[in-house]
Amino acid sequence: MAGGKLQKLTKEEELLLQDFSRNVSTKSSALFYGNAFIVSAIPLWLFWRVHQMDPYQSAILFVIMTMISTWLVAFAYKNVKFVLKHKIAQKREDAVTREVMKKVADDKKMSKKEKDERILWKKNEVADYEATTFSIFYNNSLYLVLIILASFYLLRTFNPTVNYIVSVLAAGGLLALFSTSTPAK
Amino acid sequence: MATSRMVLAALAILAVLPVFTSGDTCLRPSVVSQTYTSSEAMMATETVVIVEFTLTCANNLKDVNLYAEINGRTLPATRGQNSKTYQVSWSDDHKNIPAGTYTVRFFDEDKYAALRKAQRSGDNTADIEPLFTIDVNHKGTYSGPFIQAEALATCVAILVWYLAYSTKSNLQS
Repeated sequence: MAGGKLQKLTKEEELLLQDFSRNVSTKSSALFYGNAFIVSAIPLWLFWRVHQMDPYQSAILFVIMTMISTWLVAFAYKNVKFVLKHKIAQKREDAVTREVMKKVADDKKMSKKEKDERILWKKNEVADYEATTFSIFYNNSLYLVLIILASFYLLRTFNPTVNYIVSVLAAGGLLALFSTSTPAK
Repeated sequence: MATSRMVLAALAILAVLPVFTSGDTCLRPSVVSQTYTSSEAMMATETVVIVEFTLTCANNLKDVNLYAEINGRTLPATRGQNSKTYQVSWSDDHKNIPAGTYTVRFFDEDKYAALRKAQRSGDNTADIEPLFTIDVNHKGTYSGPFIQAEALATCVAILVWYLAYSTKSNLQS
């Protein structure tokens, strides 16, 4: 009896751990890196067309900086997603429960435990999806604000190469830094 | 009767005489002018005004030395090769030549001397009758868009980020 209960708890814990762990699934990770790459490549256009950097001469620099920036942005995506997922799960709990209960209400055979598991699973799915997309949106908007402010205002007097390196590093770095901060309680 | 006819003929000759004499003054000047003013201020530090004109005198006077006066500033008009075309140009800061119509007054040597005299003695130079005037219509200089592209981009980016931030705060509250 005790062993069974323990096993049940472990199962739930496992599910919880999986749901709320910092690790992201491969699909989610691909989404993060893909988006991070796209948003990191946007400044290239800015520095090529507006700041007049030659794309062939600066190709190596562009590739390296884009890779670093991609990593930093993806790191920020993951952190923000992790922080938001808890909160979103709490906020959407009632609605998800209601919806799942409505769906499975007719199913008499389904046990309470299974229903709870379904709710948990559905809640996790909803929160994961919302947190992932919102994290991408939020970090993209912040990254672009930082890039624009840095390249056009703070570093406008510097030469384009220095401007590019510093503004991309600063934007990526600040984004990663802000993503690790705990929300004010 | 014969005497009065003689007098009339003499008067007629006298009246027509100035047309055929080539004196120093340009009689009934007819001017064909072309003007240019700067249209944009982004690439230039000063606004430029150029007035080109062809002067034809009724008494066929040629090689007249002309002086231009604009807003109390006098400068000589440069004569072109064919002794009828002239050019006057000047430049000033953009703010000193705002949009509007400028009347450029032209003087020959005598009138110019009178103008200088009036300027020296502090008299009203507007009273000096110019030989002719040319109106320059300056449409103003274009000093770039009212709002810079990067400022607009910054505003939009900050607005989007603010929306994202407030949504995030909402979710975390």
